[in-house]
Amino acid sequence: MIQFNSVSKTFPKGRRPALVNLSFSVEKGEVFGLLGHNGAGKSTALGVLLGLVHPDSGEAVINGISVQKKREKALQSVGAIFESPKFYEYLSGWRNLKVLASYSGYWKRAEAEKAVDWVGLTEAIDRKVATYSQGMRQRLALAQALLPRPEVLLLDEPTNGLDPDGIVEFRERVRRLRDEFGITVLLNSHLLSEVEQLCDRVAILRHGELAFEGKLVELSDGNTIYEVSVDNWDLARSVLELLPVKISGEGRIGVPDGIDPADLVAGMAKAGVKVREFRKRKASLESIYLSVGRNAVSLGTDSVSPDDLQLQPTTD
Amino acid sequence: MFARKRTYGGYAAFLAFNLLFLAILSRPGPSKLFRKPMENGGFAFEEYYSALTLAFAILGLTTIFLLIPFLALVAGDVVSKELEDGNLRLILSRPVSRARLLLSKFLACHIYTFTLVAFLALISFGTGALLTTWNGSMFVMTRPREVLGVFDFETGLRRYLISAGFLTLCMSTISSVAFLFSCQNLKPAAATILTICVFFIDRILWGVPYFQDYQNWFLTPHLRVWIQAFADPLPWGKLGWHLGILVGISIGCFAVGWLTFRKRDLKA
Repeated sequence: MIQFNSVSKTFPKGRRPALVNLSFSVEKGEVFGLLGHNGAGKSTALGVLLGLVHPDSGEAVINGISVQKKREKALQSVGAIFESPKFYEYLSGWRNLKVLASYSGYWKRAEAEKAVDWVGLTEAIDRKVATYSQGMRQRLALAQALLPRPEVLLLDEPTNGLDPDGIVEFRERVRRLRDEFGITVLLNSHLLSEVEQLCDRVAILRHGELAFEGKLVELSDGNTIYEVSVDNWDLARSVLELLPVKISGEGRIGVPDGIDPADLVAGMAKAGVKVREFRKRKASLESIYLSVGRNAVSLGTDSVSPDDLQLQPTTD
Repeated sequence: MFARKRTYGGYAAFLAFNLLFLAILSRPGPSKLFRKPMENGGFAFEEYYSALTLAFAILGLTTIFLLIPFLALVAGDVVSKELEDGNLRLILSRPVSRARLLLSKFLACHIYTFTLVAFLALISFGTGALLTTWNGSMFVMTRPREVLGVFDFETGLRRYLISAGFLTLCMSTISSVAFLFSCQNLKPAAATILTICVFFIDRILWGVPYFQDYQNWFLTPHLRVWIQAFADPLPWGKLGWHLGILVGISIGCFAVGWLTFRKRDLKA
């Protein structure tokens, strides 16, 4: 559905390349997360995909059509939302929709009304955008993105500036778009929890390079992290070292699939270790991201396989 | 453009400028400025000091002091300000070509220029009518005496309307140059200032004797074509040549603006 083929970009005044040989693909119906710190190249990648940024080499392809060669055709089925979307403040929400849709030659009143209703903005649509809250602006942005009947939705830091209620609401709407309409979503965010909750797969960018592409579960290295609280860690450690587990620090162990944690507890107890607590700990995406980033740099490679990762789980 | 309050600020400013004229010209002193050249030419002041005569004078002064800077401001903002504010980025995230977007902005500038000049021509005549007789004969004299025309009311009104039409084309050139700068990677204020600089420097250099042999290379003589509408008889060949150049400059400005804008990276 979406493809980046060896896209590179260096801005004239940029100190370093914004994108380096970036290649990844998003399948139809997927919610795909593009992760990275500020300046990692996420927005540039989205800019290339929308034809707003001209790559030095490579191309972005949507539905088999090159954005760089046939931009308007490629974007026919694409809706996009930016962080803090900028509307004409002095116009009503409805008028803004009309202006935006008319530019692309697509204005059907009935569909616009449906989109406005879908985002829950019917009552406020005739008010000037200047009176809108950030959440309402984001909903209006979603309405305009829905107007070309998109098959692909590109979201660039969509929840920035939203309050917690707004974030939850927006997230829910994105889920509905995927579930009800089968829309492919490319979500660009540095909010790791957001990506974690929404995305099927992710690409992690660091300094414009692809550091990882795949499913989030692949990043767990096949191990589930457990936190162990015992009266004697040295003794517990000596027991655990005999078992097929990975000790990643005091009180932390990685348990491979197929190993029953109850057996580990029983083994420690049999050796005289008093186990006070043994609980599963979920690796946060943030720690995963940092880990991927460090590895990408230290390895000096374009991408990192899950095997290269050193997970450093932290409490959520 | 027409939904913004500031756009109508132009109309309000021109109205205020005309009210100022009304206040100044209603005093006895300033009318002497008209009496002397008329009587020197053997024309009766009472007959030729009319709404049309004053309208032409007001139109000329307003054009230089208000119309050019205001159009430079509006057209200088039309792309750069919307790009700076992020509006264009949102529009261009849709399947809209940059050429189409620019063309719509360009046309909006010219429609605005047309309405503003029409409004100005109308209120200038209205101001003149409030001060003198509305249907008196017309006396036109320009400095440096390139045109000297006297007309009865009907002919004068026709010439005045033709002149306003030519002024629209002249001012469209200002809008086009401002539009060109607006398409560049410049702050909106810079586009406006550059446009004003271009025209005022051009006008100054045009008046320097050293450049006498290069008059037609300047913009100013072409921009004064609207005054030629009062020449008798109407020099259609000369008018066509000047107007052709102005239209060419406008098209050139759009083309260069588009060529540079299409290559720009539009990143937040």
